Amino acid sequence: MSLSVTANDEGRRAGFAKRIAGFFRRYPEAFAALLILILCIGVGLLNPAFWQLANLFDILRGSVVRGLFALGVLMVLAAGGLDVSFSAIAALVMYAVTKAVTLFAPDTGMVLIFIMSAVGGALLGAINGVLVNALKAPSLIVTIGTQYAYRGFLLTFIGTALFMNIPPAMDHFGQWSLMSRTAENGFTVQLPGFVLVLAVAALATWAMLRFTLIGRAVYAVGGRPDIAERLGYRVSSVQLFVFAWAGMLAGVAGIIHVSSNRLANPFDLAGIELSVIAAVILGGARITGGSGSVLGTLLGVVLITLVSNVLILIGIPSAWQTAILGLFILSAGVFFVLQKRWS
Amino acid sequence: MRKLATLLGSAAMCALLATPLFAQEGNNSIVTVVKVTGENWFTRMEEGVKAFGEDHKDVTTRQVGPAKADAAQQAAIVQDLIAQGVGAIAIVPMDPSSLEGVLRRAQGRGIKVITHEADSLQNTLVDLEAFDNTAFGAHFNEQLATCMDGKGKWTSFVGSLGSLTHVQWADGGAENAKKHPEMELVSPKNESFNDANRAYTLAKEILRAHPDIKGFQGGSAIDVIGIGRAVEEAGLADKTCVIGLGLPKDTGPYLESGAVDSISFWDPKDAGYVMNILADKVLKGEEITDGMDLGVSGYNKVAVTKGPGEGVIVRGQAWVDVTKDNYKDYPF
Repeated sequence: MSLSVTANDEGRRAGFAKRIAGFFRRYPEAFAALLILILCIGVGLLNPAFWQLANLFDILRGSVVRGLFALGVLMVLAAGGLDVSFSAIAALVMYAVTKAVTLFAPDTGMVLIFIMSAVGGALLGAINGVLVNALKAPSLIVTIGTQYAYRGFLLTFIGTALFMNIPPAMDHFGQWSLMSRTAENGFTVQLPGFVLVLAVAALATWAMLRFTLIGRAVYAVGGRPDIAERLGYRVSSVQLFVFAWAGMLAGVAGIIHVSSNRLANPFDLAGIELSVIAAVILGGARITGGSGSVLGTLLGVVLITLVSNVLILIGIPSAWQTAILGLFILSAGVFFVLQKRWS
Repeated sequence: MRKLATLLGSAAMCALLATPLFAQEGNNSIVTVVKVTGENWFTRMEEGVKAFGEDHKDVTTRQVGPAKADAAQQAAIVQDLIAQGVGAIAIVPMDPSSLEGVLRRAQGRGIKVITHEADSLQNTLVDLEAFDNTAFGAHFNEQLATCMDGKGKWTSFVGSLGSLTHVQWADGGAENAKKHPEMELVSPKNESFNDANRAYTLAKEILRAHPDIKGFQGGSAIDVIGIGRAVEEAGLADKTCVIGLGLPKDTGPYLESGAVDSISFWDPKDAGYVMNILADKVLKGEEITDGMDLGVSGYNKVAVTKGPGEGVIVRGQAWVDVTKDNYKDYPF
């Protein structure tokens, strides 16, 4: 009697687990959303200071540069590749554009600066695409190579010194605020205007993946390149396109980094690559390609920014902070593996 | 037989090819290895290194460093220098303990090792400190205490927890703060990884966790820039005190706005020059004695003490405090 009950129970539990696993399989974004929710509630209980507008503004501000990078990585990942050169592209573009504008045309407007950086980034990204096509090498290897090459080029030929006096247009753009609140202790918080750039980039990427032919081609090529080729998709042009797109977003991200930081440091952004890729994966994209969504990616980015922004708030000593971040990513990885096993 | 001849021939060729490689630089070359190439701090140091070379035609001097602040890359550079057989290495270690092995190897090959900002390192002949690090940290804290009227919350930043001097300044500050019982240290030794944006993010988070914070002590030269921006954006420039290591030109805008109250530094040009003086003295076999005058301001009467290893530690009194009023006197 009791035996049969246990078996029944187990069967029901297995069914429940299966249903949950199935849900997360269908909506991989939900996992990142769930983690964000748990984290917010946990941190909010430990330190009520978490619940303030300033914190939300800071998380949004902190998500912009990583978010732009992540959208680029999502494109490349969906097409079955991997890109780790975006931080070097951003550093090269931001420093070269800032320096050129300061030296030759200090009154250049922000629109032109953005166009220059987007084109510059797209060209550098296209080099990645051409190399991946020409060498028939794994894109991870190619972009590790170009990452070093771009950064080396920057430090050797363009400059190494910190640049404190950025062009006025960039300075104003970085200071532009959509909303400003002053708390009772005289604390001013602002929602920076450049979060709109991330919103526009996310909408454009989403619409492109969703409604256009090239968007379909990206998933097709990432899922089954052999079949995509037989269906008439040109794999090489798709690859060129995704790397150029990632490069373009990286160039724009670099300019935002400089504008908000009010200085151009060619050593900045190095080492951000893995946290960006982690964000995209946490957002439900498969590292093997053919999947991933813009919404999931943005949630992944917010999650990573959240984790790295709340550790002081809950009083974790600084020596522990990177370790905690690592554990967090690791446990998410374990969840994805378990979820696959359950379903 | 013929095979043997070929073998011998190729061995000879190898020896011929290898000799010039090892003899590339003579015993009178001093190479200064810095934490990272291109930061204004080390660009200024390079001026001192070059100046020494120009003032002393009998030695050649040059400066090298990794493109990224990374202890492993710095160790690789020292390996290269050992292979090149330079006369002396004057190094500013990123992470002193991780360089012990490679510096021991250098000394084993007869290369003279001089260090800077690493008084815990064993495998060095002379370690140069611009000043006593604990005293420098205490000096920061005294400035903070004056600015904060001796009460309120304060915090400290370090470039990384592996940067010994930064940790010594933070600890020296914390030790000194015991004299001021109403000062409370919160969330100490935040790691900025020499990135102004990271320092900015951390400072904002600290402002949120401790809205009544009154004082910030910066560690790496770039920390005060990030902290200054956070304080300025929060509209708290007049209500908080930001003090730390910094460079006049980089920090200028924040000193002007009052977000950063005071910065202190030692002139990296002088430090570079003095490191090379010490290297030159060691190469020539001259003795370095307590109270010696090295002929550079701030190093006119150096204190020489025994180091943790075979070597000695040379300390100057070379710190400079700079505020809004006099930062323009230092064009770097």
